[in-house]
Amino acid sequence: MLLGILADGTLQPLILLAVLTAATYVYNKKAYAGEIKADQLREIPAIAAITEGVGKSVEENKPVHYAMGASGGQLYSQLVSMTLVALAFLNYIAKLCAKYEAQLIVHMPYQAESIPLIEAMVREGYKAEGKQEAFQPSCLRYYGQGALSWTQAVTASYDQEGVGLNLSIGIFYSDCPISLEMAKIKGALNVGGTGRWIMVYAFAMMCDYVFLGQEIYVAGAIISENPLMLAGVWIEDLGKFYSLLLLGVGLIVGLLGVSAAAALFAL
Amino acid sequence: MIIIAITGILMVAAYFIPWAPLQGVKGVMTSWIVVISAATVAMGFVYMTTSQYKLYQKNRSTLQLVYTVTPYVFFAGFLISALAYPGGSNSPEYRWWFTNIYSNVGATIYAIMYFTLASSAYRTFRVSSMEAIALIAGGMIYTLRQIPLFQVYIPWIVPLGEWFLLVPNTGGGRGAVIAAALAALVVGIRTLWGKEVTLEVSG
Repeated sequence: MLLGILADGTLQPLILLAVLTAATYVYNKKAYAGEIKADQLREIPAIAAITEGVGKSVEENKPVHYAMGASGGQLYSQLVSMTLVALAFLNYIAKLCAKYEAQLIVHMPYQAESIPLIEAMVREGYKAEGKQEAFQPSCLRYYGQGALSWTQAVTASYDQEGVGLNLSIGIFYSDCPISLEMAKIKGALNVGGTGRWIMVYAFAMMCDYVFLGQEIYVAGAIISENPLMLAGVWIEDLGKFYSLLLLGVGLIVGLLGVSAAAALFAL
Repeated sequence: MIIIAITGILMVAAYFIPWAPLQGVKGVMTSWIVVISAATVAMGFVYMTTSQYKLYQKNRSTLQLVYTVTPYVFFAGFLISALAYPGGSNSPEYRWWFTNIYSNVGATIYAIMYFTLASSAYRTFRVSSMEAIALIAGGMIYTLRQIPLFQVYIPWIVPLGEWFLLVPNTGGGRGAVIAAALAALVVGIRTLWGKEVTLEVSG
């Protein structure tokens, strides 16, 4: 009956969705009960490096640059989760800049529809530190459409205004090798990461501290100090165990040559 | 949060259920995306002007004035060539601006990327730790297998390089992709649940 309603090849994704939704319910209850804490997770050196980089920027009297990618403002694609994590980091860096009185420059993505969210996160960060008046709208830089025009503008900003810390988190394509390396050449402490595995190489090569792939989500949960976001890390792990189980069962079924059961995995 | 949750649930349902009304809703929402995206560019233009003006206020040199004015000159050029000639953005005048200016500048910037990759590769491949040695060994074998000289004199380098590409590289990459996809899925479920903290903070 159910198979008649579903589109072809969507049963397995639906089961995974059901498993993770059930896990979300259970772990959210644990989070509300105070059973989930950030100190239960391993330390990620790149998080401490962000604070270090803000301190370096203040000492050198150079601005802190934050970039979430030329197309890092996607609100309606498969990559929207990375946009949300990048916004969490933006809120965090805005708080740090407000706290240590560092100048913040935000290189906004070309998806202009994300601008209200970006501005809200920065304002909220300054407000959390009680320094709303320190927020300057001109710190939010918009460069129009196109990854390569964005890259030109960002690197020009590094050159003209200097760069103490360059924090780059979010959706990156071919825009990141130039911007990261130019920041490095201009003397920045480079910290960054992306969930797009195909571009992780650039961050691994060019950053002093890197968040590898999924680590941006974990780090986002840690810096938020929010129990629901921290619970997400446990839910992700449960999803990994489920994927491993599927791999193991699929391998055994495949080796035994059970075609009907193997076909179930293709559903 | 309620609007986001309802919209998200409808889109998820449209993915799983091939029911015509749901697909229709999905189509309408996709059209809205295009409209919203186009309408908000004007907002971006205001932000761009604000920051450009502030930069000029800070540094009132002739060079800064040139930096400030140049984007608007080209913006006007593109806009006029698209509006003033028949065919709009398909007119020969607009195509000239696009092909001879935008595409060439883009290609130049893209080419610069390879210089940045070379300088960062030098730093990355410096032998400074066991991890760096493993990286350089794998990288060299993978790269040298494509050079005919090495294919002739060290033929075993070809299958070894292929093995690096197809086994450790693909295996590690798949693990990372699955982990990132699961994390994205968890964020998605949290958003549908109305509990995404980032969206709560931004109001």
